[in-house]
Amino acid sequence: MIDAETVGVLVMLIGLYGIMVNEKPIKQVLSVNVLSVGLVLFFIGTGYVPNRTFPVMPANPVDPLPATLMLTTLVVDVALTALALALITDMGVDA
Amino acid sequence: MIPLLAALPLLFAFATALLIPLHRNNLTKYLFLTGAFAPWVVFLFGGEGSEVVGGWTRTGGIEVAVGPYSRWFILAELLLFSIAALYSVVYFRGKVKPFVLLLLIHTGLLGAFISRDLFNYYIYMEVVSVSTFSLVAFPRDSEAKRAAYKYLMLSMISSYFFVFAVGLLYLKTGYLNLYLMSRAVTQSKEVVAAIAIAFTSLLLKAGVFPLHSWLPDANSVAPTPVVILSGITVNVPLYGMLLLSKYLPLSIHFKTALTSIAFVSMFVGAGMALLQRDAKRLLAYSTVSQMGYALIGLGTGNLLGAVYYSFAHAIIKGGLFLSVGSLSDARGSRRLDALSYRGDTLIAVSVIALSLAIGGVSPFVSALGKAELLRGLTWGRWLFYLAGVGTLAAFAKLNYWLSRGVGVGVAGVYRFLSIVPPLLVVVFGLYLYRALQPLDVVIVGAGILTFALLRLSGLTGRGIGFDLPVGRDVSINAALYALFLLFLLHVL
Repeated sequence: MIDAETVGVLVMLIGLYGIMVNEKPIKQVLSVNVLSVGLVLFFIGTGYVPNRTFPVMPANPVDPLPATLMLTTLVVDVALTALALALITDMGVDA
Repeated sequence: MIPLLAALPLLFAFATALLIPLHRNNLTKYLFLTGAFAPWVVFLFGGEGSEVVGGWTRTGGIEVAVGPYSRWFILAELLLFSIAALYSVVYFRGKVKPFVLLLLIHTGLLGAFISRDLFNYYIYMEVVSVSTFSLVAFPRDSEAKRAAYKYLMLSMISSYFFVFAVGLLYLKTGYLNLYLMSRAVTQSKEVVAAIAIAFTSLLLKAGVFPLHSWLPDANSVAPTPVVILSGITVNVPLYGMLLLSKYLPLSIHFKTALTSIAFVSMFVGAGMALLQRDAKRLLAYSTVSQMGYALIGLGTGNLLGAVYYSFAHAIIKGGLFLSVGSLSDARGSRRLDALSYRGDTLIAVSVIALSLAIGGVSPFVSALGKAELLRGLTWGRWLFYLAGVGTLAAFAKLNYWLSRGVGVGVAGVYRFLSIVPPLLVVVFGLYLYRALQPLDVVIVGAGILTFALLRLSGLTGRGIGFDLPVGRDVSINAALYALFLLFLLHVL
């Protein structure tokens, strides 16, 4: 079966492709969001270990670090998306 | 003590932002300047060394350090930010938000330069980038918004791919701390791919050809205090590349590729600078060329050379943007033929001294960087000199136009500040490198002669530029990024 990391990388590449083929700024911002979701999926996949539990009570847990890192990346993503959208409304081009 | 370098400006950024709801805008200046200068105390009295934030072990915590390389970056940052801070107090008088963003840039720059942990480094680099996007978009015209949008999109793509590379390295080594990573790393396909992806991303953020196109756009429209800082913000990705080359195994092919990219960037940057009719774009293209010089240090494994060169370049480019930016603000135009430093001795001295300094002429500190870089270079020395001639020709063009026409009055504070960077460049040059290179006279002469010949042949007057809709521009550059990534992956 295909694992989460591979799917993550594929989704990232789809996002990059989206930026390359779309010339409308709004669609480009959406494509960047696709890219970032792929990245999150990749990271969550790296932390996952089969047959292990969630890392709250430390009994044989999965790796918690990648998920924590992704929380930070998600925050950056939201802030940058908001900024990009604000810029698009002020740019004076057909979005 | 070391984390305070980044924590103090952050604290004052927060305090400054609180002034808006408290309706105490008159206090902005004092809080901002305290935040801007407070890290000096930590830097001067904190000493060198490394520590882990919160007293954890290295495996579980975030390590920060001031070392033999990073101290030069930190010193350049503190000097340049101090100048930019004094400049912006006058420039942004009566406003609050730009000061908050400037302090955030301060935080991000210092935080990135003390990082010894890849993810932590990425976060601070983002703090710098996001604050810079907002400040680039600060002028009300739509040209500024478009430049900021382009910068934001390209920077975002490369950030995500950089984090992806960090993830790959984490997957293979189990660490984010660079020292621990360097001990656990083994040569494998994943590590090689991660290095290629990380370098492509950082090369874009450093504005190296062919991924440079956001840089002239952003630098030509941003407010002057922000462009002054552009000399040091491009050093953040460079510092990241330096960390990667110090701690991770780079193959010999990769290093050769880096050196070749560096040479191409040096020549294209200098050539494009020669063709510009916009003074700020000329300086921005010169940055593209100068980043090539620093990259040569990484390609030849001569890290100290790269550090010295970037130290010099940060101060020189900051100073040039200060002087030229002040002239262009006073005139309300960026066109070379509209600007002049006639009747303004301080600015004229500043521009001429810094123009010589950027060519690496010997009493200035950049000569040290150049000598160090040349020591490590085994091939292409004549290319190195030739690029120096190109740079000097571009700056001969700048001085040719600025020395004609009629000057406009520049405010006293700006004129006073414009003389500080040349003084710093001379003082550090005399302190670190007490030698004169007779060859420099030949190179300066060749630079002026090249410009004179090009001017007579009418080649430099034509100007060059592509006027694309911003969406298509971003698409093309994203495609270039992808191609460049494939190229680096292929080389490895």
